[in-house]
Amino acid sequence: MDQVNENKKEKESLNVDNYKRIGSYLKPYSKAVVALLLVVLLANILMIMGPYLTSIVIDEVIPRGDSTLLVIIVVAYTAITILNGWTIRYRQYNISLLGQNVLQDIRSDLFTHIQKLSFTFFDTRPHGKILIRVVDYINNLSNILSSGLINVISDVLSILVTLTIMLVIDVRLTLYSLILLPILFWVTMIIKNKQRVAYDRLSDKQANLNAYIHESIAGIKTTQSFTRERFNHDVFSDVSRQQKDAWMDAVKIQLLLGPIVQNIASITVALVYFVGIRGLGVDVSTGVLIAFVGYVNNFWNPIINIGNFYNSLVSGTVYLARVFEMLDIPPAIEDAEDAFEMPPVKGEVIFQNVEFGYEADQTIFENLSFHVKPGETIALVGPTGAGKSTIINLMSRFYDIRAGAILVDGIDIRDVTVHSLRKQIGVMLQETFIFSGSILENIRYGDLEATEEEVIEAAKVVRAHDFIKDLSRGYHTRVQERGSTLSAGQRQLISFARTLLADPKVLILDEATSSIDTQTEILLQEGLDRLLEGRTAFIVAHRLSTIRNSDRIFYIGDRRILEAGTHEELMAQRGYYYDLYKTQSDLLKGV
Amino acid sequence: MDTIRWLARYIRPYSTSWTVGSLLTVVVALLNMVQPYISGLIVDFVINERRVDLLIPLLLTMIGSVLIRTFFRYRYQVRFEAISQDVLFQIRGDLYRKLQELDFSFFNHTRTGDIMARMTGDTDAIRHSIAWVYFNILDNIVLFISSLIFMGTIEWRLTLSLLIVTPFIALFTVLLSSRANRAFYEIRESFSRLNSMVEENIRGNKVVKAFANEAYEEEKFKKVNDDYKESNMQSASISKRYLPLLETFASFMSVIAIGFGGWLVLANEMSVGDLVTFTGLIWMINLPMRNLGGHMNDLQRLFGGTTKIREMLIIEPQIPIEQRKKADRIHGEVEFQDVSFAFPDDPEQLVLDHVSFKAHPGETIGILGETGSGKSTLVNLISRFFDPTEGRVLIDGVDVREWNVIDLREDITVVMQDAFLFSDTIQSNISYSFPQTPIEAVEEVAEVADAKEFIEKMPEKYATYLGEQGSGLSGGQKQRISLARGLLKNPAILILDDTTSAVDMETEVKIQRGMEDISQERTTFIIANRLSSVKDADQILILSQGEIIERGTHEELLAKEGAYYRIYEEQLGQGE
Repeated sequence: MDQVNENKKEKESLNVDNYKRIGSYLKPYSKAVVALLLVVLLANILMIMGPYLTSIVIDEVIPRGDSTLLVIIVVAYTAITILNGWTIRYRQYNISLLGQNVLQDIRSDLFTHIQKLSFTFFDTRPHGKILIRVVDYINNLSNILSSGLINVISDVLSILVTLTIMLVIDVRLTLYSLILLPILFWVTMIIKNKQRVAYDRLSDKQANLNAYIHESIAGIKTTQSFTRERFNHDVFSDVSRQQKDAWMDAVKIQLLLGPIVQNIASITVALVYFVGIRGLGVDVSTGVLIAFVGYVNNFWNPIINIGNFYNSLVSGTVYLARVFEMLDIPPAIEDAEDAFEMPPVKGEVIFQNVEFGYEADQTIFENLSFHVKPGETIALVGPTGAGKSTIINLMSRFYDIRAGAILVDGIDIRDVTVHSLRKQIGVMLQETFIFSGSILENIRYGDLEATEEEVIEAAKVVRAHDFIKDLSRGYHTRVQERGSTLSAGQRQLISFARTLLADPKVLILDEATSSIDTQTEILLQEGLDRLLEGRTAFIVAHRLSTIRNSDRIFYIGDRRILEAGTHEELMAQRGYYYDLYKTQSDLLKGV
Repeated sequence: MDTIRWLARYIRPYSTSWTVGSLLTVVVALLNMVQPYISGLIVDFVINERRVDLLIPLLLTMIGSVLIRTFFRYRYQVRFEAISQDVLFQIRGDLYRKLQELDFSFFNHTRTGDIMARMTGDTDAIRHSIAWVYFNILDNIVLFISSLIFMGTIEWRLTLSLLIVTPFIALFTVLLSSRANRAFYEIRESFSRLNSMVEENIRGNKVVKAFANEAYEEEKFKKVNDDYKESNMQSASISKRYLPLLETFASFMSVIAIGFGGWLVLANEMSVGDLVTFTGLIWMINLPMRNLGGHMNDLQRLFGGTTKIREMLIIEPQIPIEQRKKADRIHGEVEFQDVSFAFPDDPEQLVLDHVSFKAHPGETIGILGETGSGKSTLVNLISRFFDPTEGRVLIDGVDVREWNVIDLREDITVVMQDAFLFSDTIQSNISYSFPQTPIEAVEEVAEVADAKEFIEKMPEKYATYLGEQGSGLSGGQKQRISLARGLLKNPAILILDDTTSAVDMETEVKIQRGMEDISQERTTFIIANRLSSVKDADQILILSQGEIIERGTHEELLAKEGAYYRIYEEQLGQGE
């Protein structure tokens, strides 16, 4: 499983842009952020009040034996405690709210963005890796965005206050207590770099694990029928172990920061004691020294917290970078700046010298040209892989062509909005996809406004009604994403009905009836004939009866159209189509 | 509690490490008191009594104790992380194994996103509980007990008075955890819905685009995204109600200490020094109380997350994959004796209705029938993806339920109609059943399946990487790779379930000829809609609404002028 072991080797620094982007997500909530900061400030003040009241009791109440003052202080302390309870309540809820709002926004942006990405995007990476970004990675940010950020600001505040007090008390002692700070910075930088590398690796391994699980679920039927369970389990164990090892590597580095800061803090405290007591050019009184040591502790505790925050920020930005990276993938097909709505389509389709290939070094068509009049039904035939489906992909603008032009009703499809184009071109793709939900909802996907009657009408045309009405819950039968108990033919009928419901002027059927039996197809054809009147249709099919019924046949091969004409014309030509038709009917007759 | 017992089973193999980690946690919790104690000694001896000679030893002890404490703490943190990862590894492995064992009926009713959520999001709650919550609770318990003892020796009445708040704290904790439980369950359900929705959107991206339904999808997404936020906020609301109460009551300990303690001093029942020490220690008893709510939340998250995992682990597949009776190779005789089948969720609707037939080893059986007439179901019963509701399926004269499922499937290949390809190279896809197969053998089956030509035209040939579900290939190409994969297994019974629907007839015939050359004694079932695929079969079965309505060879059936004859006429293109 090479894909699973594949690792992106991108070394993207913790760049400022990422932070700016987080900032932009916070912006709509700036009022909430300010309010939170004020409450945090209030909470900090309240926290200092406790020890202050205690010191009053010890210094004033007891020496004076003043029990009234004691009562007053107890009442005040109670009030402060309750008020502090309120600040906790406020923070608790609003921090969650802020974090959740931001996550919701990022997730929503990402989802909206991937809707715009090309087939290629989805075809070239395991779906599990896309999923993990939209769902899991974003969750990793929740702590950083909510509690982390607010606490860090309050920590910075308390460091500044403490530092000011320390400087007022004694400048030299303050300098001594800061002497180890450069070491701290240096160590933090080293750890940060290692941690980033470790988390980069971890997020890759997590994505691999996710992708493997995802594909295992999707391909379970194949796995079971090929009895590959044991082998897959081994692969899974390997992927799972790699994730585990990457986690341990990352965590071993991450957890180092705490102990290092604490040791530097304890050495600093010892240094202050030593300098304070041994003189060393610094002369301080006992009271000042004790107070000072207290402040040094006050100074280092927030630094430990900030260190921890920084830690999670480093790992968080690794995930965030992945999320932003996806947000930055440009959509392959974008509306032109002056794109207009496609006017109601009549159905004329022109390909002018179209050149196309999915990859740069590959050419599927060069110089493909044809002209289809409104209302014509065109059958596309030719060997598998000749590019029949590609023509269809191009017409709906799932891909942009390299050279030439595709015109619908004389309008270049690149000049109109993709949405208005696709709304009027109905494609029934080779692979049927069933969403989890009811059959009704699945057909209605073609036209979200359709009534139940219209849905049933469409189902009747394609003969899906026949089997649906026999189901115990009829159109309200629930189906799962994998189509569950529906047969391939039934799924095709549902997706056929879906396409018809969209009522497109240009209809494209790509192997629409390959899994449907002949009897059903005959019945379906009757309904379809009625429906095709006045519509342009492109049909990819292998069955002769379907092909014969069309107005014109295009034989695709060798990167272009080799033959075009009616069945009779092409038969008379005795070319590729003739050979194809002849072999097929001979085969059937057993000659 | 069940959850804890369940988790304990996974932790047991690491019990030594667990015990050492726990001991280290206790030691570290106790070492926490050394630093303040030394500070006290420095003030008392060095500063007040001017015993400057003690300064350096005391400072070194302090630095040393912090060094030892942080070192131990690091050690146990890493240890618990390692245990949590090992446990997670086991649980994930068990889930994965279960996943592979479960039968089609499970997958037909469970969304991929739900399973994903169980294996990723839900397991994380377990990791957090072991690698964080457990030792923090332990640390807090040690802190609470030791501070209680310590403070009790200073002034027991004051200590007892502090405990007045504990009943309140206990009450709020109980209330919090009972409500939080439901909230966390809701969060994970909502997460699962979010996961499923996005997963489906990604997989159905082509349909979404073809219908230009992006706006609708965004609307659907908005709903689950909002719902996920709401359920998180629901839990935040519960925390908002109880956590501040817990913290406030815990903080009242300080008020009591000052009030009652101050009164005791005023009444000359206690010394000022003791009060100072007492208030200095109050955080130790206070902190565990304040953390209680957070820990409860974490535990409830654990319970919420594990429920679904355990639910999945206890599902018993209806068709158990057990290791019974290692059989010899299957010869390939297949017999259906009066077989009926209905899906469990629609028992009224018979998909197969009293079907009987017999296929001798080496025969080819063609199956025709309308959409939904039960063709695929019929062959799914052969490899026992489902069991018949009535009647028996015999292979080599033995009921399939008697066979070891693995043995059975090893000798039967189903090439399914929806060719599922893995995101891997073409070679790995073809050699899916025997990953070590040499390339020559892969090429050989590719040639039979008429896939060789187009594969070799690709820039990287057999090393070409396929996207998820083989995207990038045409339907016919996918089917041919999937056929090659099936052929490589060299099965005694080969089932082709509409395998060539997307390839043209010429190619199909080429494939059939190739297959005749390599098949020795092999029973083949061919489901198709095209007559050309089945007309050379030894026996052709025509299914309609779950019943066999006609059977015989091509010639026999044509002579009958029944359903088969009508299909023949139609497919020929209404005569020449």
